[in-house]
Amino acid sequence: MCFKNLPIEFDAQGVASLKGGVADPYAYQPREIKRDKLEELMARNGHIKDVSISPVTRVAGALSFHAVADLQEKKFLEANSVATIFRGYEVILKGRDPRDAIYISSRACGVCGGVHSTAACEAIEMAFGISPPPLGTVLRNLALALDFLYDHPLHLFLLAGPDYSQVVVQATNPAMWEKAQVTDAPNAEVHQFKTIGDIMKGLNPLSGKLYLDGLKMTRVPREAYSVLFGKYPHPQTVVPGGMSSTVTITDFNETYTRLQKMMDWTKRMILLWDDLTEFFYEYNPEYKKVGARDANMIDLGMWDDEYSYDASYARCNEWGEARWATPGVVMNGELVTTKLQQINLGLEEFVEHSYYEDWTQNGNIRFQTDPAGSPLSPNHPWNKETMPKPSKESWKDRYTWDTAPRWDRQVVEAGCYARIWTTAAARKMPKNQFMESTGHSLKFHMPKTMLPEMDFEWKIPKIWNAFERNRARAYCMGYNLMIGYTMVLKAFDLLRQGEDKVSTKFEVPKGERIGVGFWGAGRGYLSHHLVLDKGAIVNYQIVTPSTFNASPRDPFGNPGPYEEAVLNTPILEDFDKPSDFTGVDMLRAIRSFDPCMPCTTHIYGGEKEIIREVNTCACDAEG
Amino acid sequence: MGEIPEKHVGEAGSHKQHISSTASLPDQVGNVGRRTMEELVEDICASQGKTQLSLGPLEKVYVFWLAGMSCDGCTVSVSGATEPALEDLLTGSIPGVPLVILHHYVLQLEAGDHYMRTLELAEQGKLDGPYVITYEGSIPDENLTVGGEPFAGEGSLPLFAPSEERRRVSTAEWIKRLAPGAAATIAIGTCATWGGIPAAYGNVTGSMSVMDWLGKDYRSALGLPVINIPGCAPVGDNFTDAVQAILLFLQGLGPLPEMDELGRPVWQFGETVHRKCGRAGYYEEGTFATEYGDKECLVEVGCWGPVVQCNITEKGAISHMGGCMNAGGPCIGCTMPGFPDKFAPFYKAPPGSTVSSNASRLMGSIIRPLRRISQRERNREIRWHDTVPSGWAMEQGDTSITHKILEFFYERMQFLGSNRPGRDLPEEKYPTGYRSLPKQVYGENYQVLPEERAEKAAKNNK
Ligand code: SF4
Ligand code: SF4
Repeated sequence: MCFKNLPIEFDAQGVASLKGGVADPYAYQPREIKRDKLEELMARNGHIKDVSISPVTRVAGALSFHAVADLQEKKFLEANSVATIFRGYEVILKGRDPRDAIYISSRACGVCGGVHSTAACEAIEMAFGISPPPLGTVLRNLALALDFLYDHPLHLFLLAGPDYSQVVVQATNPAMWEKAQVTDAPNAEVHQFKTIGDIMKGLNPLSGKLYLDGLKMTRVPREAYSVLFGKYPHPQTVVPGGMSSTVTITDFNETYTRLQKMMDWTKRMILLWDDLTEFFYEYNPEYKKVGARDANMIDLGMWDDEYSYDASYARCNEWGEARWATPGVVMNGELVTTKLQQINLGLEEFVEHSYYEDWTQNGNIRFQTDPAGSPLSPNHPWNKETMPKPSKESWKDRYTWDTAPRWDRQVVEAGCYARIWTTAAARKMPKNQFMESTGHSLKFHMPKTMLPEMDFEWKIPKIWNAFERNRARAYCMGYNLMIGYTMVLKAFDLLRQGEDKVSTKFEVPKGERIGVGFWGAGRGYLSHHLVLDKGAIVNYQIVTPSTFNASPRDPFGNPGPYEEAVLNTPILEDFDKPSDFTGVDMLRAIRSFDPCMPCTTHIYGGEKEIIREVNTCACDAEG
Repeated sequence: MGEIPEKHVGEAGSHKQHISSTASLPDQVGNVGRRTMEELVEDICASQGKTQLSLGPLEKVYVFWLAGMSCDGCTVSVSGATEPALEDLLTGSIPGVPLVILHHYVLQLEAGDHYMRTLELAEQGKLDGPYVITYEGSIPDENLTVGGEPFAGEGSLPLFAPSEERRRVSTAEWIKRLAPGAAATIAIGTCATWGGIPAAYGNVTGSMSVMDWLGKDYRSALGLPVINIPGCAPVGDNFTDAVQAILLFLQGLGPLPEMDELGRPVWQFGETVHRKCGRAGYYEEGTFATEYGDKECLVEVGCWGPVVQCNITEKGAISHMGGCMNAGGPCIGCTMPGFPDKFAPFYKAPPGSTVSSNASRLMGSIIRPLRRISQRERNREIRWHDTVPSGWAMEQGDTSITHKILEFFYERMQFLGSNRPGRDLPEEKYPTGYRSLPKQVYGENYQVLPEERAEKAAKNNK
């Protein structure tokens, strides 16, 4: 493994050190944003349209988008993503009892439940030096598998789904609707929708069967979740050193029943999204470019192995790789690392274009190294201070409340698809009877329910775009379901062995402590970075998936993932005159990330703008 | 089902023309279905055939869902509501309850200006029905952002203008604009009702609740102050339940939905959560959890239930399932105006609980043994005397003299002034010929099968 841009090298034992002979190793020269050419173009041409979507609906939270479209060339010239709230949770957490971080940080986002509680908990456990008993870990894993079983259908059928419904397709591509009605769905026998047109009808908001069933199915895993963890979305039973759930056989049986209910439906829905995706590709291969980006992704893995996880930083590489979802960074489709420590060292946040003061300027950098003694950037979240500086947006200066997190100074996107990708590529998944990582795919076997037993295989795609994001999300439903199922069986097994302890006792330590929670949300990557002193929080930083995905341009000139995806999107909808342009292709691209602004804007997202010039990263790292 | 006619009914003029068709507006950006959700709902209802019989004066109600400093958790909770179910309200499927046309950024078909336009029409009084505002999240003090971007913004004005000519509008401004004309303003979730976490100590945004922002004198068009449905996140059913109750009242069908002095529905928030907690019995008997995961009352690991108004232990979190203490999570008072700071640090026993928990410990030490005695007796069939035929354990009937005396007086009290089953009674009271069972009705050989009995009889006859 090598960093391409950061001045860190690793020796044969994997010990990191700063490259010798560099005077100011982390220094960089911010690039200016130029917009003159574009403004000139806009002034001269009538077919260059200023597109303002405020707000972008069917995403979680407050997001706006601004773009400049060339309606003749059918492409986008500029794209700015704007998140519109700031809540300052990181500031509210300062000076509090560290235990409060679990409940308070949970409120950073109510879209997926328990992800922040758990990340906070793991950060606290590292700082306190405690870890949960096996059943505590298994319960946590189960919670987060149930969570995503609600979260993914919510996105596929209620948020993104309507963009592929009859109502929208008929309005924006009438010819496609005609074609869809006479195209048989290859997997109709399983999912029971005869034609692609039937699928599109099913996706119609408030009346389609897929839409309404999708809504109803989101409740099933939440019922199990509430039985075990109290309520949804903010669980009540996540505690340092484990869980406080009082578990009974009934609780697990009720969960078991709900997983079984999901199983039939999930089998059908995976194949349905396959059919829909292939139809778009066949209808017009240009759809492969909607939302396209190079496959550059990041994930921290999740679902700990109950015997490996000890919450220590020293052993994080080992327990990280033992997870049911393997941590990793993918660059140009290749997995470059699976080590949590390396992922952590590569992480930096930049605020050149955000409404914050640059904390590195005041010179007092708290940590030169991580707890293992490896070099740590001044821009790492452990060193970050949240210093809001509200100002008026300016394209050339600051225009967002969101920061720009980068890995090795390159743009990476996060998502459940990143999680399934790194897991499929790494071949490190624990041995089990249902799932297998092959290096190029993730296979899973689903037992008989009403439908017979079925095998599924998510293959790492050759292309990366909006449709593949959605397709991967559908496969993730199956993957999460089998994780949940495995966890219930594990819990049964532990109970059979008399291992019914769910928590560990602890004391709040008084000295300076540092911790990080490496975890995942419905949308992927999630880390909480914690510094304690004298029994209180002195610094708390949260990096979420949408912080990456909605990020502004960084000081090296790279746009964030949403914008890059929009810039690569061709305009494929039908319209006669410029005023009839709806922007559906661009909205499909944005929604495919499953944007979640509450998460992002525990800080805030702001406006960013980019010029068509995308730095692609050619990392030739060796594994 | 599911297919929606292409042409929308708004154009055909088959019903009241509430909004000029959005498809004819000079800019279609964001209008991906070439009709708004409102138009779509009308089309769906039209395609399903309209009901002729109206059970009240209202046909439909618009609900504008606005969000400030929120985590979207309230929205997520409400999407889980089943009593009544969200989708039933939104499709007008509940007899007597008017169609609820929800205008929500998470569910809306259209985006951007087409989405915001309905709000503008509401402000101008151009809708064809009354509207309600639902606000989720706290309201930041936008005085702190004058000259900059608002802390919480939604949409920008003027609509359909080039981006440089617009200004982003804060949700605080939207609610100020819309609240006077609203039939009711409902604050949902603890952020909106009492400020919640964004308004906790360390609050950099000046966050506050809807009541704080609209002030003491605010009254809706129907004369109502702000209605508060707290909870972090709230029980989704509390919202749909309250909405249905209010609508049925307005239709002249349901009883008056009563609100308390802080605008909370009394039937939902009138009781402390402790009173209906599944662990309240442990509290009463003075047994307490000492570790997370224990089954007893959670007060000593940080439960504030006895002073918190919430219905989750009774109502469940979703589909009548779950609930904080039911699952093992101590109550942190998330429905209360004092949340979070007046309940922090979480996981620490509330100071006020010491008196009452120690009192119940003392009482419990007397009551528990007594209960054990009568529970034990009630675990015995009337026909078990000296032995109990259970293979699970060495169970004995209780033959001790003290037990017999205690049980004698216990039964005396139990049947004082009422009939004791099984004693001999005058014949005329049971004209059909009631006879109490003779003692020892089950003789020694009651467990035998017919063949065995025949065999025995044959042997005896020999
Ligand atoms: S757990 Fe809380 S609400 Fe339940 S009985 Fe104990 S103190 Fe009351
Ligand atoms: S029991 Fe307490 S913590 Fe749970 S929902 Fe009610 S008020 Fe909130």
